[in-house]
Amino acid sequence: MSRTHPLMIQIATGDPRAISKQIVDGVRMQIATGEIKVGSQLPSVRGLAQQLTINPNTVAKAYAELVAEGWLEARQGLGLYVAPPRQRLSDAERERRLDEALQRLVHEAIALGISGDEVLSRLAAEFRALDLRKSA
Amino acid sequence: MNNDAVIETVQLSKRYGNTLALDHLDLCIARGAIHAIVGANGAGKSTLFRILLGFLPPTSGSARILGRDCRALTPQDRGRIGFVNEEHTLPSWMRVSAVIAMQRRHYPRWNQQAFDGVIGHYQVRAEQKVSQLSRGERAGFNLALALAQSPELLVLDEPTLGLDVVAKRAFLESLLYSNASDTCTVIYCSHQMDEVERVAENLIILERGQLKNMSAPDEFCARVSHWIADIPFQGPPPASVPGLLQVQRIDGLHHYLVLDQDEDFGEFLRASGARSTRSMPVSLDRAVNGFLAKNHAAPLAA
Repeated sequence: MSRTHPLMIQIATGDPRAISKQIVDGVRMQIATGEIKVGSQLPSVRGLAQQLTINPNTVAKAYAELVAEGWLEARQGLGLYVAPPRQRLSDAERERRLDEALQRLVHEAIALGISGDEVLSRLAAEFRALDLRKSA
Repeated sequence: MNNDAVIETVQLSKRYGNTLALDHLDLCIARGAIHAIVGANGAGKSTLFRILLGFLPPTSGSARILGRDCRALTPQDRGRIGFVNEEHTLPSWMRVSAVIAMQRRHYPRWNQQAFDGVIGHYQVRAEQKVSQLSRGERAGFNLALALAQSPELLVLDEPTLGLDVVAKRAFLESLLYSNASDTCTVIYCSHQMDEVERVAENLIILERGQLKNMSAPDEFCARVSHWIADIPFQGPPPASVPGLLQVQRIDGLHHYLVLDQDEDFGEFLRASGARSTRSMPVSLDRAVNGFLAKNHAAPLAA
């Protein structure tokens, strides 16, 4: 049995996001949703490159970014593992990003003519769904 | 002279009659990695390769490949360079086994393991004649031969042109994951941006015999942005638009593809009468195409 956790991510060429950015986003999403758990081993650079038919250096670049951001940690000679969560951004930066996301959501909801109450209940449902996936 | 360069040209020019195919080109390609070269037809790519491989003398300037003057390449120097062209030109009357035997004699650093590693992706049998191979198999055979010669530099000129999706994938896999390609510098000429995106670490753009870009593909991509402006009546005259690559009017909105513009471009559009402006990043395909299309005539639809 392989110790490597399968990484179920897709990349697309012709996307404004570079492929390495798509990998970073994909892995972050999988970690955030609990799809891959803390301590899981990720595919090797060559392995993921082969899975996605891309240049191994592109994977290496994405992994390096994920390590720098604290999502992954390297264990000497063993490979890369999902790191335990820690505060990855400053409070001010977190506040700024959350504010930006909320503003977008509010504007979109107003444009669609959806009430605040409905947005709140939908939001709550989304988070419940995430919790279910995490505990599953 | 730069010793870390596999290719170095200084003020290299080639003139055909009144046309400058290469225009005082200064190009320095570092050793290692996969470099993509793109350019419209007539940008000078083929002329550049012919000069680099010593088949054509330059009009002026100098060109060096693997540190050697291109006009004085010895058979030993040529043995250090692998070349795969779009036609996959191989002697059609020969059997696969005979071609292998011939190449093995020609190249002292023949690496059978590298050959086997690549050819394993294809159904090519030793007793087949080259003329019996499909286009995809010929491409794979061609790549296997080139990598088996343990080249320091591998030049691939539109290698996947005309291949079906299966053969294309097999070609990319055998190039990217074979151990032989780890040790050589690869120059990859292609118009297929999805491939360039998958393989290239460095993007070189040639236009009219001049070097227009040398950077990581995503850095080039970030230089190009797409703006959509709602300008009642006429937009600003194209010549006054900074960094303009392409302009189109679609459903009454002006679409601008621009190079090296920041938020100030929105100010420019508003000053030109735009009621609203939006901007977004573009894909590599769009960025390169827009860049190369810059000097092509395009109708400005009403």
